[in-house]
Amino acid sequence: MPYRLIRDMANSGVMPNTQELINEGTFRSMTSSIPEISCVSWSSIMTGENPGVHGIYGFTDLMAGGYGLRFPNFASLKAQPFWETREDRRAVILNVPSTYPARPMNGIHISGFVAPELERSIFPADVLDRINATGYRIDVDSQKGHSSISLFLEDLNETLDARIALAEALFEEEDWQTFMLVFTGTDRLGHFLWAAYEDETHPQHSDFLDHLQRVDDGVGRLVGRLESDAGVIMLSDHGFERLDHDVYVNQILEENGLLRLEPQSQAAGRPGRRGLAAITEDSVAFALDPGRIYIHAEGRFPRGCVAAGEEDRVAGDLARLFGDLRAGDGPAVRAVLRRDDIYKGPLIGAAPDLVLVGAKGVNLRGSFRLPSERADEPFTGKHSQPDAFLIVRGVGPKAIPEAPNVVDVFGISERILGGGTQP
Amino acid sequence: MTSTDRKAHNALKTCWNCPSINLAGKVDFRACGQAAEGFDKDTSAGDQLMAECKRRPGLGLFDPMAITFEECPEWLEGPYGFMLKDMRVMILGIDGYLGWTLALKLGRLGYRVSGVDNYSRRSWLAERGGHTIVPIARMTDRLHAASEVLGVNINFRAIDIYRERERLREFLDEVKPEAIIHYAECPAAPFSMIDLDHASFVQENNVLGTLGVLFMMRDILPETSLVKLGTMGEYGAPLTGRPIFEGVFPADAVLHWDDRQWSLGGEMTPRDPVSFYHVSKVQDTFNVYEACKYWWLRSYDIMQGIIYGVHTDEVSADPRLRTRLDVDEWFGTVINRFVSQAVIGYPLTVYGSGEQTRAFIALEDAMQCMVRLINSPPEPGQYGVVNQMSGYYSVMDLAKTIGRVASQEFGLRVTIQRLENPRVEADRHPFEPVFDALPDEFGFQAQHAPEDVVYEMLKLLTEPKIRARILEKKHLICPSTWWSGAKKQARRLEVLEETTYG
Repeated sequence: MPYRLIRDMANSGVMPNTQELINEGTFRSMTSSIPEISCVSWSSIMTGENPGVHGIYGFTDLMAGGYGLRFPNFASLKAQPFWETREDRRAVILNVPSTYPARPMNGIHISGFVAPELERSIFPADVLDRINATGYRIDVDSQKGHSSISLFLEDLNETLDARIALAEALFEEEDWQTFMLVFTGTDRLGHFLWAAYEDETHPQHSDFLDHLQRVDDGVGRLVGRLESDAGVIMLSDHGFERLDHDVYVNQILEENGLLRLEPQSQAAGRPGRRGLAAITEDSVAFALDPGRIYIHAEGRFPRGCVAAGEEDRVAGDLARLFGDLRAGDGPAVRAVLRRDDIYKGPLIGAAPDLVLVGAKGVNLRGSFRLPSERADEPFTGKHSQPDAFLIVRGVGPKAIPEAPNVVDVFGISERILGGGTQP
Repeated sequence: MTSTDRKAHNALKTCWNCPSINLAGKVDFRACGQAAEGFDKDTSAGDQLMAECKRRPGLGLFDPMAITFEECPEWLEGPYGFMLKDMRVMILGIDGYLGWTLALKLGRLGYRVSGVDNYSRRSWLAERGGHTIVPIARMTDRLHAASEVLGVNINFRAIDIYRERERLREFLDEVKPEAIIHYAECPAAPFSMIDLDHASFVQENNVLGTLGVLFMMRDILPETSLVKLGTMGEYGAPLTGRPIFEGVFPADAVLHWDDRQWSLGGEMTPRDPVSFYHVSKVQDTFNVYEACKYWWLRSYDIMQGIIYGVHTDEVSADPRLRTRLDVDEWFGTVINRFVSQAVIGYPLTVYGSGEQTRAFIALEDAMQCMVRLINSPPEPGQYGVVNQMSGYYSVMDLAKTIGRVASQEFGLRVTIQRLENPRVEADRHPFEPVFDALPDEFGFQAQHAPEDVVYEMLKLLTEPKIRARILEKKHLICPSTWWSGAKKQARRLEVLEETTYG
């Protein structure tokens, strides 16, 4: 959720408990990770590292030495999350994205999405009975958002209620020094119903506010159980804004002769797929979601054609191409970032060469499917990079950077700890 | 990709087909044979279908079509396409004619073979007073010889798959086979036509035994491929002369009726089973089809032609490794029966006109097909059907071929007799089977013509010891089991002397 929404909702009384935390602590706008997607951002929040160190660049990534698509998960995370850096601190970690599969730790861990099997999302295993008894589920069924908004909202609220109920029980009954809980329903709400938030006459406007109120109520029920001076961090992993335009990065590359895909029928072994496997040997670049661009370099990719000395020139050409690209009346891209300018660390070799940050309202997509192949999608909101939020109670404002980034959260939490808390 | 036609048949299959994979993510499978809905969505990773390799967990979660067999270090190129390294294959019915032969072949190729059997084929023969004319060893001796002679170690357990389901479940869970070869059914049409008890037994044993296997696979082995033995006899021989397709109608088949038309593409073709045994196989077909649809199981249903032969390199390597050969009226298949009759100078018993045309496949060719099918597992939810045959011949033509080889190569005097047909079947009928899938999709090439196989068989069956065993059971070769229920010997209609076909 974005800084402005939280500010407005807290001010207007929709989120009174959040307002109280703002009054007691420091409230800042925070920049998200690049790209501004949950798996990258939460990995940075929990480890305090950038993707060059933790290795998570997106929900999808390339298998080493080829075009295979893999889905990085907790096992792919190459930096330690804060609860593993100090084994003497007992932690409850509930619903943090990209922490599947769960692994042994001092405390209780229930993974957030993407978590295909509930049994492997839980540590220790005996928490499973408790979870099953409460009706807890890891994620809302987003398919419902495509078919029925009212069923989707019902599911969203039920999922939230069960999450809060479980969190309250663990909060009370378990012995812990750190408690981390992520509400993931607000992201789904934003994607499907951002238009309802912006338009007060929208039939689901009150439903949108109602869900935020429920989240705030959950915050109040947990924070209310703490001593008044206990440390609390409340944050979002990225902002949100209205979705005006979808821009298909691979299609732009194709139109400019920089990417060519074998016709579907000839894509060996993967009939009917327009995808990575169909990239031809004269392709210069391709993209993965949302705006990660890979130069099709010799040595890095089996069919790569861009020679080592040419990469800089190609990167420059791509930067110009996307820098000039328009979407609607404005630019399509806020920034074209070079790998070396945004990532540092031992895993930089696996990074995309360029990352596009969409302009306001522009949703970048790395899909290989043609826009015409996509059914009408009901999304009205998209992530935004510059305006996540951060509220910190328990340390003074001087301990918090003026313009914090998600990687700073780890350090702030370390300052609080010693008796600290963070929902 | 210019050289795809030179690649092994399964080189470009991906993890999507591999049994060593766990699938996760949003799986919304609507109907058999279709790809999962939502498979290619990338709106968030939560909508993706993801694979996890059981053999290489370090890969994490990945796109199930990301890696081809050719690219994967767990799949190694072999004589029958790429094979999964140390693949675990369990054979249900491993003591039988096909089961034992396949076990040795797979073992020699490097598969990790396990198997179960309750020796019922031996008991059925004993019940009818018969025996295998090629002597076979006890299972303990077979296993010992396999290890000693071929270096093949088979993990065997004596289990009745229908009556000892819990034991089978435990064994499956312990071994976790990546392919299950299901040969554990009673394979005899005349046996099922003896009386009510036999018909009930065959249907119960076959249908409910298989049903149990399907439920166990759902519960503990959903990624394992099931290669299940059916029979060309499930189709019957349609008198309209329409082609006998491979299980389902081709995409461009159309039904015209009442000035209207409908596509039949992908629909199951009609079955017209020819005995209560064949009915059990048809029921299996539907049970397996449904299980694939409901539970995403993967299966090939093998519509096998009439099998014949005694030789593979493995079973011929030692007398203790021989596979059984039945020539009695219940379990003996037609070529095997004719050859044994030729050996003892008994007129070959052709039923009716002898113009019935049937599909055939030699034992060695059938084994090649099985290995190729095991190596190229079906997709999740796929119910695949192959017509496993290498050619089709009239029964009379086969009798003449056998007579010719026996007289010309072995100096045997052979006559052919036509008997009353105890079965209910058309003597004269059109027959146009389609058998393209195995050659086109699995790289199968038949290597054994009937003449060559008959020659091999005669070499073995003319050995005095085996000839004596045929003579001992000569009275069981002529049919006495009538589809009508009558109990009588079939009367002779005609005798064709050697000279008429030589």
